[in-house]
Amino acid sequence: MSKVVIPVGPQHPALKEPVNFRVIADGEKIVQLELDLSYNHRGIEKAAESRDFIRVLPLLERVCGICSHSHATAFAKGIEELMQVTIPPRAQYIRTIVAELERMHSHLLWLGVAAHEVGFNTLFMWTWRDREAVQDMLEEISGNRVHYNMNEIGGVRRDISAGEVASILKRLPVLEERIAEYVKMAAGQKTMLMRFCGVGKLSRAEILKYGAVGPTARASGVDYDTRKDDPYLVYDQIPWKVVTENDGDVYGRTKVRIGELSESLGMVRYCLENLPEGQIRTTAPKAAPSGEILSRYEAPRGELVHFIRTNGTDKAERLDIRTPTLANWTSVAAALVGRNLADIPVIVAAIDPCLSCTSRMTIVDQDKNEQRTLPVASLRPGNTGRKEGGLFS
Amino acid sequence: MSVLTEMFRNLFSRPVTILYPAEKVPVPPGFRGKVTIADEKCIGCSKCSVVCPARCITMTDSPREVEFKGKNLARKKKPRVKLYKCIRCGLCERHCPADAIHLTGEPASCGPSREEVTA
Repeated sequence: MSKVVIPVGPQHPALKEPVNFRVIADGEKIVQLELDLSYNHRGIEKAAESRDFIRVLPLLERVCGICSHSHATAFAKGIEELMQVTIPPRAQYIRTIVAELERMHSHLLWLGVAAHEVGFNTLFMWTWRDREAVQDMLEEISGNRVHYNMNEIGGVRRDISAGEVASILKRLPVLEERIAEYVKMAAGQKTMLMRFCGVGKLSRAEILKYGAVGPTARASGVDYDTRKDDPYLVYDQIPWKVVTENDGDVYGRTKVRIGELSESLGMVRYCLENLPEGQIRTTAPKAAPSGEILSRYEAPRGELVHFIRTNGTDKAERLDIRTPTLANWTSVAAALVGRNLADIPVIVAAIDPCLSCTSRMTIVDQDKNEQRTLPVASLRPGNTGRKEGGLFS
Repeated sequence: MSVLTEMFRNLFSRPVTILYPAEKVPVPPGFRGKVTIADEKCIGCSKCSVVCPARCITMTDSPREVEFKGKNLARKKKPRVKLYKCIRCGLCERHCPADAIHLTGEPASCGPSREEVTA
């Protein structure tokens, strides 16, 4: 039978954000998947180079609406390391609390989206309702539901009062009960089992080959979590464990995320109960010394990397953001091969793709009819992306 | 089974939705909403305008005597905030030395006239 090319996107009912798949199918079976990203390039990395460390954090939060705290923390953490500033323990605890609440809201959102993709809208409504409880807590702590603006270089901007601690601790058991319900559902709910089990299977070897990160990797038995392997904030001081599963399919990824929900809840509770007294920020210098740093952070979707190069001023000379979705795309292309066309939405949704964060610049030379991406060399010292070997060579 | 329990519970509970804008969702203390400026406190130092990431604060002429830390200062300018451009990050409030600019619990406003979307 001859193969057919089916274009999905950039605008498509199954997709929430613009991305283009060229699905090469043999009947109903997918033979190959070609990805075309970058319909949402916003030039945030370039914009970040022109803003000082105070004004850049709100911009970086807007890289992603779901993991806004992740981006700001990854950047602040890197700059603080360059400045050799240690933030007070209370600030570290507050950053961890917000990070884990963010992970909970992200996973609850994902669970709803995945359920919606398979037509299980009851679960979609339930998880999004419970997500509201987490959002309310975040709003109480930070003053906003989405962009928390908790970070600043040298600590956090807001303290958590004793009243807020008590009020959040009082509401956690309800959430715990709901998460227990989801654990039960994942084990025996027929709709979920039928649509998730065996779909988008990736072996441990494949995960390592394609370099997938986060819950996608942990669902295939890869015990990799930045919080454990390169601890930051207080993750090496509080009790928690890395959740891994060996299923390797969408079902495994669901179980990992539900497992992480209870782990995060435990961490939030521990941090709130053991919140140390003291300052919430130290005075950080205005400018950072010249240097390069790779700041790693475990965002809800996986490992987030911020490469920052400073030149002794109060601005970053170069910022490069590697979001977890970018690392996971290749694994999606591999997971889809051999599956039915109807499985595209759920397999794509299983990595929790965030396309706005992922978009990369592609340089198109119309005269030569060539396409290429930025070389690694453009990140090296002295190269701001404009010189030879860089962006416009 | 849990679906049925949920359904019966919802049958006898109040609806979650409200009739906005007649009713409004209560916001917690510390909510970052509409920006207001206390004119009698502002010393016109321009710090808010410098730190604003959205560049929505401009300094306009407004000569006035203000008291700051027990001294009388002759202010020349005061900030003017374009609310439709404001991202409500609260950096102006954080860096204001005179405690003159605040984010209130009021939601973002919209309106047909420039005055309604300017603070």
